[in-house]
Amino acid sequence: MTGSLTDLQLDALRELANISSGTAATSLSQLLGREVDLNVPKAFALPLADAVDAAGDPAQEVTGIALAVEGDVPGAVLLLVPPAGAATLCSLLGVEPGTEVGDSALGEIGNILGAAYLMALSSMTGVQMLPSTPQVITDLLGAIVSTVLAGAVGHGDIALVLDSELDITGEPCAISFMLLPDADGVGDLLAPLGLFEATD
Amino acid sequence: MGELAVSGRAGDELVAIGLGSCIGLVLADRPAGIAGLAHVVLPEAQGKLEPRAKFADLAVPELLDRVLAAGGVRRRLEAVLIGGARMFSVGASLDIGARNAEAVRAALERAGVRIVAEETGGNRGRTARVIVGGEISSQLAGGPRTALLSLAAGRPSRTPIAVQVA
Repeated sequence: MTGSLTDLQLDALRELANISSGTAATSLSQLLGREVDLNVPKAFALPLADAVDAAGDPAQEVTGIALAVEGDVPGAVLLLVPPAGAATLCSLLGVEPGTEVGDSALGEIGNILGAAYLMALSSMTGVQMLPSTPQVITDLLGAIVSTVLAGAVGHGDIALVLDSELDITGEPCAISFMLLPDADGVGDLLAPLGLFEATD
Repeated sequence: MGELAVSGRAGDELVAIGLGSCIGLVLADRPAGIAGLAHVVLPEAQGKLEPRAKFADLAVPELLDRVLAAGGVRRRLEAVLIGGARMFSVGASLDIGARNAEAVRAALERAGVRIVAEETGGNRGRTARVIVGGEISSQLAGGPRTALLSLAAGRPSRTPIAVQVA
């Protein structure tokens, strides 16, 4: 059904992402003691093959922090940070990048941001969404995003991606925060806003 | 993801960048200089019909048809599998990689096509690269290319093209 999303529905999803990532940016700012800028989020519903490209250069190496989302609208939260940005985050937290402790600190950032984002989204929509334990991997962007999308989109043709960018002021560190709801759950996010009626 | 490409022109390059749990499936007729690459995402179509290359059970017959239509000869066909990693140790996408690899193997067996090389499993992403008339290779992020099968035959007859099989 995500194939038939209207511009109005995508706008509403973008606004939900905007408010939710604002809450996430505030928690990141408190955690790091730094100012965090938030860019206007993107919301796109695309065929799988195009969704990976929209997320970035598939051949680029990135650090991904992934959390499965459970509840009324299952899916996944995926944070992507270039390796240099991941190193910046680790040093701001006072841990060594590229180590087990470093990865665990990055996982904790994923936890805090994911929980803040989903809590804000839940309070606006009344939809329960709970993050699971984070996993941190560094690999090709294409491999990370396609694997998470394969799980979230399943047999649907269209992937819905809500993509927010958080920048730490004064540091070369851009975090791409993505919510990838399972294909069937999008209606549940839009229905409380009066923007979705079940057709099938 | 879910796309496929076939070429019979020496020097053409078919690439699937960043295969995680997905499988890059190559079917090659070496003497004819024809090869095709499909980017398989899930093991079973479960009633879906499109895109055919997305699902292992539909991708194998589809790629086979396309390679035969391009002039391949069935009994000479050889298959190479790349990808099917277990990128995450928990979550929904947990064993998609292994199930994909299994489903592709089963479909190849049903089609009577033999697997001559395979680089699957593990927990790292790979890039699958087919150079028609050159070689089939697999590459881990930041690692060297590993040649899996030589396709060497004649010289390129024209300016080669590169196709990304997303």
